[in-house]
Amino acid sequence: MDVTLSEDQATLTQGVRDYLAGVHAPELLRALDASDSRRSADVWQGLTEMGLPGLLVPEAQGGLGLSLLDAVLIAAELGRAGVAEPLADTALVAAPLLAKAGGQDALLAAIASGDAKIALQHPANPWVADLDGASHVLSAKDGALLLADHSGGGELLDSVDPLRRLYAPIAPSGTKVGSADALLDHAALITAAQLVGVADAMLEQATEYAKNRSQFGQPIGSFQAVKHHLATAVVKIEFAKPVIQRAAVALTERSASAPVHVSHARLAAADAAWAMSETAIQTHGAMGYTYEVDLHFWMKRAWALSGAWGDRAFHLGRIDAAILGGALPIGPGHSFA
Amino acid sequence: MDLAYTPEQQDFRAEVRAWMEANVPKEPLVTLEREDGYHQHVEWERKLASGNWGMVTWPEAYGGRGLDLIQWLIFEEEYYRAGAPLRVNQNGIFLLGPTVMEFGTDEQKARFLTPMAKGEVIWAQAWSEPAAGSDMAAITTKAIRDGDHYVITGQKTWSSRASFADWGFGLFRTDPDSKRHKGLSFILFDLNSPGVTRRPIRQLHGDPGFAELFFDEVRVPVENRIAGEGEGWNVAMATAGFERGLMLRSPARFQAATERLVRLFRQHEAKAAPAAREQVMQAWMDAQAYAYNTYAVASKIMAGGHIGAEASLNKIFWSELDRAAHRTAMQLLGASAELRHLDGGALNAWLEGYIFSLSGPIYAGSNEIQRNIIAERLLGLPR
Repeated sequence: MDVTLSEDQATLTQGVRDYLAGVHAPELLRALDASDSRRSADVWQGLTEMGLPGLLVPEAQGGLGLSLLDAVLIAAELGRAGVAEPLADTALVAAPLLAKAGGQDALLAAIASGDAKIALQHPANPWVADLDGASHVLSAKDGALLLADHSGGGELLDSVDPLRRLYAPIAPSGTKVGSADALLDHAALITAAQLVGVADAMLEQATEYAKNRSQFGQPIGSFQAVKHHLATAVVKIEFAKPVIQRAAVALTERSASAPVHVSHARLAAADAAWAMSETAIQTHGAMGYTYEVDLHFWMKRAWALSGAWGDRAFHLGRIDAAILGGALPIGPGHSFA
Repeated sequence: MDLAYTPEQQDFRAEVRAWMEANVPKEPLVTLEREDGYHQHVEWERKLASGNWGMVTWPEAYGGRGLDLIQWLIFEEEYYRAGAPLRVNQNGIFLLGPTVMEFGTDEQKARFLTPMAKGEVIWAQAWSEPAAGSDMAAITTKAIRDGDHYVITGQKTWSSRASFADWGFGLFRTDPDSKRHKGLSFILFDLNSPGVTRRPIRQLHGDPGFAELFFDEVRVPVENRIAGEGEGWNVAMATAGFERGLMLRSPARFQAATERLVRLFRQHEAKAAPAAREQVMQAWMDAQAYAYNTYAVASKIMAGGHIGAEASLNKIFWSELDRAAHRTAMQLLGASAELRHLDGGALNAWLEGYIFSLSGPIYAGSNEIQRNIIAERLLGLPR
């Protein structure tokens, strides 16, 4: 029993954070927002050179062979930086599923080299992100996970998140590479991890604003009302993080209880991010209601991801069956059941 | 990260479980907030000590077992799983004990820790004063040096366990000209010393578990001071850190309450309000989140880290989850919630628990103070 992150994990996380802070600053989000495609080949090239698409690709296929626990730490950094490129879906969700399926060495190598992008579709997540530009689609159908080549676009939907590129789903097809449930659990976990990163970014922005904005002759962050709103949000965010890590371990071990822990993580993260978004706009006051401060990119990401990969009702339903239904042992001594 | 218990940890769990099953009283004790219940709980502390379970993390030389914090969490899990009585000695073992371990001299450790672990001396806290609650630096009770003694004069209040306990610890102003955080010292005193008057305070539940303490020229030997004269504030902050941070409320307590809450929900499911379903699930989720986080904090400390201002996050989280879980239970009980005894005459533990849960966001530094600490020390907002 050792519930610590390794030094390697801390170093990797900090490295990715520093890199993204440099190349994926808010100025880039604004530039992407002003572009037609909302995507940038240069950004993708940079992420590839940093080795990010191959993080979970096995070493034999040119990746780093990292774990799901590493993946959730990286996903949080993607959320923090507001990354909208299809990196999380391809590198953190599809790659470990394909590695587990076996027989996908060429595709895994293409993921690691940044040449493959994989769109995901599942009934619990009705809209498909980045279908246009995807080289492959992983689809859930009748409980199975199907892999198909893809080219061309799809029917573009209009998300409130200006950097999300959502499409209507297409008919599932392809060869079976695993179970639909595995896709859902992996994607929900990575979504949860992104949400805490999104929440941390909003917390940082709101805190900076509270330090710098003065009213009544002093920074508004010196007022207890503002402090307490922010402190309440911090509690939610910090207590979502261990749940996400616990779910990552459960999913790695493929324990029978993993779906419950993923749903717990997904609910805790969405609650934290949504609450943080309302606290953040309130702290920014009228400025927060404008397009002029960058907060809106993260607020909208929080709303979007909070409904993705299983909504609140879906995840509560899984908790309900396991806990109120009695499928999972609970109480003292069952912390890690 | 490795979330599996080692074979040694599993063996330890089995050992605790077997002892608890053989020794935990079959009938619940009377509340420790009443004199008869207090003595029953002291008996239980001595029973625990007879099995060498007083405080498993302490060195063997002081009545412990020299175990690590993960083993302590396992011990707590088995303790609550067995439905064992509340620890009347929690002020000693969880707060003063770690403080003496960190700041005390060898002589003080030998003198105070062993009787604490054995349940021979039960400790009361003495921090708050009528004009120094959340603002603890406003303490005015004086301890004036007179040769090899301090002479204490003043008043403490909300002193938990002080109605019946043997000894107390708290902060006193040893420099009468000092202000605020300076000039305070951390002093231990015998509650039966001449000049100490205890006035039990009737609490919300009706019983007198805590007390006002009046000091009228109470003479306390200088060797009862922990750390240097005037260094009391830092010692007290460390004690508060233990209280908020890790030991005072182990996750097992809330996991046990959640397990009971789920059972209560099943009994009342047919007539439960729609929101109750989600509230019960939230209670389970929060108790689990608190457990994961506590294991992480324990692991961090074992790896050489320490708890700082993030202890305030823990204190807010456990106190608010506890209140919410008990509120949910009260709402599930509906018209029966107000009854002090339920079917068969047993005490309405949900009512008692709800009343107690209301104190959680207040004691050990109110949650407003904790939010200030988070904002100022973790976020760096201006004071």
